[in-house]
Amino acid sequence: MKIFHYINFFFIFLFLVAICIVEEVLVSSSLESVQNQCYNIESVIAGKDSLKETQIVLMVDNLEYDWVENESKLCYLVNHISIKELSYEISHLKSCISTDNIEDFKESLDSIRMYCHNYLHFMGANVHNIL
Amino acid sequence: MFTIIVRSILIYCIVLLVFRLMGKRQIGQMQPFELVLTLIIADLATIPMADISIPVLHGIIPLLTLVIMHFVLTIFTKISTVLSKILSGKPVILINPDGIDYKAMKKLNLTIDDIFASLREKGFFSVGQVQYAIVETNGKISVLPKAEFAPSTCKDLKIKAQESFVPITLISEGKILKENIALANLNEEKVTNLVKNQTNAKIQDVLVLTIEQSGAGYIQLKKDKGKTFQVQRLVKT
Repeated sequence: MKIFHYINFFFIFLFLVAICIVEEVLVSSSLESVQNQCYNIESVIAGKDSLKETQIVLMVDNLEYDWVENESKLCYLVNHISIKELSYEISHLKSCISTDNIEDFKESLDSIRMYCHNYLHFMGANVHNIL
Repeated sequence: MFTIIVRSILIYCIVLLVFRLMGKRQIGQMQPFELVLTLIIADLATIPMADISIPVLHGIIPLLTLVIMHFVLTIFTKISTVLSKILSGKPVILINPDGIDYKAMKKLNLTIDDIFASLREKGFFSVGQVQYAIVETNGKISVLPKAEFAPSTCKDLKIKAQESFVPITLISEGKILKENIALANLNEEKVTNLVKNQTNAKIQDVLVLTIEQSGAGYIQLKKDKGKTFQVQRLVKT
């Protein structure tokens, strides 16, 4: 029986380690992917006056699709409220395309990038976060 | 609402598992570090239950971390007596043959009323009846009475007493307990005959049937008074 007791604790320990790794990998990859896509969109719209281009629409659609996929996975690990801002800003990108408002579009892209950068810092395992 | 119900069930199961893994000690028997863990666990479990924006893992992970912490501390307290003293404290003699140790009383933050209440719980209504009282690490008080106030035993009275046995429950609320029947070295047929001989009732009508190694038994029907009986001494398996 004592052996089972030790095995139980060993599996719990393994589970905790696995969860930490999965969280780190999933959150980092999801947010880094969003950040990279934002950089790509920024480089495409640089010097352009209009957002009504197929390439931009496709890139934003792609960003939204990827984010929705990742968000459903992230919901298992992080607080929904803390990632809803990202969903809001990505939706805002789409409305900016329909109104062709490039300034708001750029602001939203900046917000998304900043959010991803801050959240990556916020969720990481470091002394600041622990204390 | 459905989410909250499912989450509550899930967290209930996890908390139950956590307490099973922590052992069978009751609140009053816990060491200080165990009590702290229990209080934190109770608080942690409620957080993701009602707030559906928080992933249920945010409740489960701290719970499991505390289980591991408890496991590690238990091992360390077994290995190191110094750490055991730091975490659990050590027993303190509160009453000695000279009376109440005032310094110990103040150190333990106890009042005279607390001491008297604990002594009364143990069946002693005067400090004069007590030789030693020791406050254990879990906060309970153990009492050694003075010789003249100690309950007399058969050895003191030089009486030869018969050994008593633990009664084995053969039927509980109309159901035969097969494991116990095997333990008593009986079979279902013998038990059915026993019930018939003693009450002339069916097995389903029996509230409880117990038997001791000596053959002394007790039977009570669901709608009747209980009675004791004596059968042949049970054969040891």
